[in-house]
Amino acid sequence: MYVIFVVYPFFYTIYLSLTKWDGAKPVKQFVGLLNYEQLFADWRLWSALSHNFIWIILGTVTPVAIGLFLGVLLWRGARGMVFFRTVYFLPVVLAPVAVGIIWKWMYNPQFGPINSTLRAVGLDVLAKGWLGDPYLALPAIILAGVWGYFGFCFVVIMAGLQNIDMEQIDAALVDGANGPQRLWYIVIPGLRHVLTMITAFTLILGVNVFDIIWITTRGGPGRATHVIATYTYNTAFRESYVGYGSALAIVMGVVSLVLSFVFISIRERGGD
Amino acid sequence: MESHVGASYQVARRPSRPARYWIARGAQYGILILFALYVLVPFMWVIFTALKSNYEIAQDPLGLPPNWRFENLAQAWNQGKFSRYFVNSVIVTVPIVLLVVSLSCLAGYGLARLKMPGRMLIFYFFLVGLMAPFTAIMIPLFYILRDIGVLGTYWAMILPQTAISLPFGIFFMRAFFSGLPYDLTDAAKIDGCNDFGVFRRVMLPLAGPAVAALVVFNFMGSWNAFLLPLIYLQSDKLRPIMTGMMFFTTRWGPDYSMSMAGTLIVMAPIMAVYLVFQRQFIQGLTAGAVRG
Repeated sequence: MYVIFVVYPFFYTIYLSLTKWDGAKPVKQFVGLLNYEQLFADWRLWSALSHNFIWIILGTVTPVAIGLFLGVLLWRGARGMVFFRTVYFLPVVLAPVAVGIIWKWMYNPQFGPINSTLRAVGLDVLAKGWLGDPYLALPAIILAGVWGYFGFCFVVIMAGLQNIDMEQIDAALVDGANGPQRLWYIVIPGLRHVLTMITAFTLILGVNVFDIIWITTRGGPGRATHVIATYTYNTAFRESYVGYGSALAIVMGVVSLVLSFVFISIRERGGD
Repeated sequence: MESHVGASYQVARRPSRPARYWIARGAQYGILILFALYVLVPFMWVIFTALKSNYEIAQDPLGLPPNWRFENLAQAWNQGKFSRYFVNSVIVTVPIVLLVVSLSCLAGYGLARLKMPGRMLIFYFFLVGLMAPFTAIMIPLFYILRDIGVLGTYWAMILPQTAISLPFGIFFMRAFFSGLPYDLTDAAKIDGCNDFGVFRRVMLPLAGPAVAALVVFNFMGSWNAFLLPLIYLQSDKLRPIMTGMMFFTTRWGPDYSMSMAGTLIVMAPIMAVYLVFQRQFIQGLTAGAVRG
């Protein structure tokens, strides 16, 4: 089953990427590397990849930083620990589709809570069509993504914090290290493994992001929020350029294979 | 005399501590609550919007619903055909979870414990599958599913979703079984168990927590799957909840109260289950990042 539905299609994708086919004609016209030549000149691909890049940078740094920050705040058994963990993890159980729909409403230009709040406090100038503005749309979706994801980072980092040696912290306290110093010299190195893992994990999600973007903007306005996955889907299934879409899929496959390989080798090394 | 010194020490120290202490505590809780609000406020507005009429939304988009219109939920449920979407989701999710979990246990155990030629090779073979994203195979898979004639049936989601979930499941169960002590196996063998007996009577009962995590992980994976059913289950009859919800909110786009009521219907059960089985949820969903 694995062979039929995973291995075989993978090679089939490579084959399709060398053809020109609309998905309906009986003949798949073999065109060699033409699709790949086209790829390099395709500004839409580079723009999509740059959005993935922005997504990866902001979408990794922000939730990990928030997770670390909250983790440290709650580390030494603050009251209400269970309550906060329950709340922070709540959006993580939602499907990305639901997160997208919720935030599409939050950003709604007419009656959405964000604009309504801004108007209510007299900041009408700041009320915007968040998802309709080519410069704001991507950051706005990333903020929604962070909402749905930081709780995950928080929980994983909390688990990592439990393994840090308290005696080291106490020793540092005796030596007069202040809060930021303890964080930088003891906590972060102690979490090195967890942080690497979670970063790699988030990175791979960032390459594959599709659901939330498709729900909120479908890549628009213009091409302002297209990422590689939405571009591939759109090309292969909506515009029926199956061959070219497959070439895009291969680009995406290669990027994520490389990243996952790094991820797994880190994990295998650190796991022992 | 000594006790007296101790007491005066405490008295002298006291005044300096509370002020700083309370400021730090206040700041700590202030920040924690701020982030809790960041999480909760959008939920609050979804609920408020879902229970207002559209006229009430236009009048006051932020406040509490003037009349709590729970009938909106019933209306969305009926107009959105959510009962069918829910049933569809169950029909595809249950077999996927059962197949993935049982096959992963068997294969993971085999790869971890049974001495057979080429087992590392098989393991690496699956590892590659763990790395390949769905997007890399989704295009030809569509034509394969069409050619074997399952497009237009639930199998068009069950088969590929099971196949792409297997590598992680195997990887995860193999890591778990590798971690169990060999003494257990040896003891059972001395007592006359064969390999399968060891698996069924000794290993499987121990694997409870790992299996639970894998169940949650796969349940959430296929329940929340979006791109896969978007491509392979296009017919409205087969549509599971996620794509169903997308079409519902698109169709009722400007009808904010209906689309939020639909969203609430989809969110509520999963959140209720989460609140009850929190531990299993957290373990299951973070399994991908922490274990292995």
